[in-house]
Amino acid sequence: MECRDFTLQLDDWLDGRLDTFRERSIRQHLNVCADCRRRHQHALAVQAAVRELPAPIPHPSFVEQALARAIRGPGAGARSTRRFVFGMALAASVMLGVALGLFLTMRPTPVQAVLLTLERPQTVRLVFNSAKSLQAATLSLALPENIELVGYGGQRELAWQTDLNEGRNLLQLPLIARGAVKDELVARVSHGGSSKTFRLKIGVDDAGPAGM
Amino acid sequence: MRPQVEYLYRLAWRFTGSVADAEDLVQDVLLKLYPRTRELLEIDRLRPWLAKVLYRQYVDSIRQQARSPIADLAADGDAEGDPFDTLPATKDGPEEHAERSAWRERIIAALEQLSPEQRAVVAMHDIEGYKLEELETILETPLGTLKSRLHRARQQLRALLPVEPFFVGERVKA
Repeated sequence: MECRDFTLQLDDWLDGRLDTFRERSIRQHLNVCADCRRRHQHALAVQAAVRELPAPIPHPSFVEQALARAIRGPGAGARSTRRFVFGMALAASVMLGVALGLFLTMRPTPVQAVLLTLERPQTVRLVFNSAKSLQAATLSLALPENIELVGYGGQRELAWQTDLNEGRNLLQLPLIARGAVKDELVARVSHGGSSKTFRLKIGVDDAGPAGM
Repeated sequence: MRPQVEYLYRLAWRFTGSVADAEDLVQDVLLKLYPRTRELLEIDRLRPWLAKVLYRQYVDSIRQQARSPIADLAADGDAEGDPFDTLPATKDGPEEHAERSAWRERIIAALEQLSPEQRAVVAMHDIEGYKLEELETILETPLGTLKSRLHRARQQLRALLPVEPFFVGERVKA
């Protein structure tokens, strides 16, 4: 057997797909070829490394929320009488003019976390960039424990149907932190069988208004 | 469906390499399957069947993302956080943990270089342990294609992952 034949048959051998004759030839070749022994060891090591790569465990809150959404069904979008308005983003100076605004842009420089002050309503602003206008997209929000959307009491899951304009779309979320926050805020935009999830870490400063 | 969510999530993560994408994929599958809950109870080998549904959804979502403006909404990759944040804790010390993390990142980076179809066959065959004959049905792909896909994927992984890092744990410390 040549080294080239060994290389060609290596995967079949690893998968136990060689007949007795070819397997014997491979073993005989390995006995006399150090290069192919190294190839074999390398192949085994790579295979083991990939096999042992641990997968993350789904977050318990994701499992609960995903099952709840599945039960509600894909049409369970707008169930609130209050509707957030997506609009073209205003000029930067106007956006910066919101004194308490925390500006989160998804692109091009995503911010992964915002800091809220305990018991103080603050507006978190999310900007979604869309390549073209989307009619009746569904926006859903899953709020972590101890975070409330002002005007919605303790409601932790909310969804709206809305249109997205081409370009930047601004979503303003008036939030209030009631305590320490462990989980993330999850925003999900769905349209036409496709969806995208965004996550926002929320830190809470309990120093009160003076801490801002 | 609850007992199967972790399995679906694990497969979805292996297909996509991303926590957010895995969540999206699982959510889409659950939305499709919930109305068919009774049908699921009648299925003998549920996991291969679920894997098939998940793979179909994965392929569909890749096609949709290729032409959907929603793909453009995607936050940059690092915005979703470190996928290992939710990995089971290990008992390693800081040094071993750092070595393991770097090593995992290299494996993940190598897997990301594969095509979605190659990643799927590696995930299902080399990690989840399905036979190629089973994957013919699950992935709806002829055996010959699967074999050559797996072969090319492994060759690529071997080229991207030199031998040395795999023996880090066996090195004798001075």
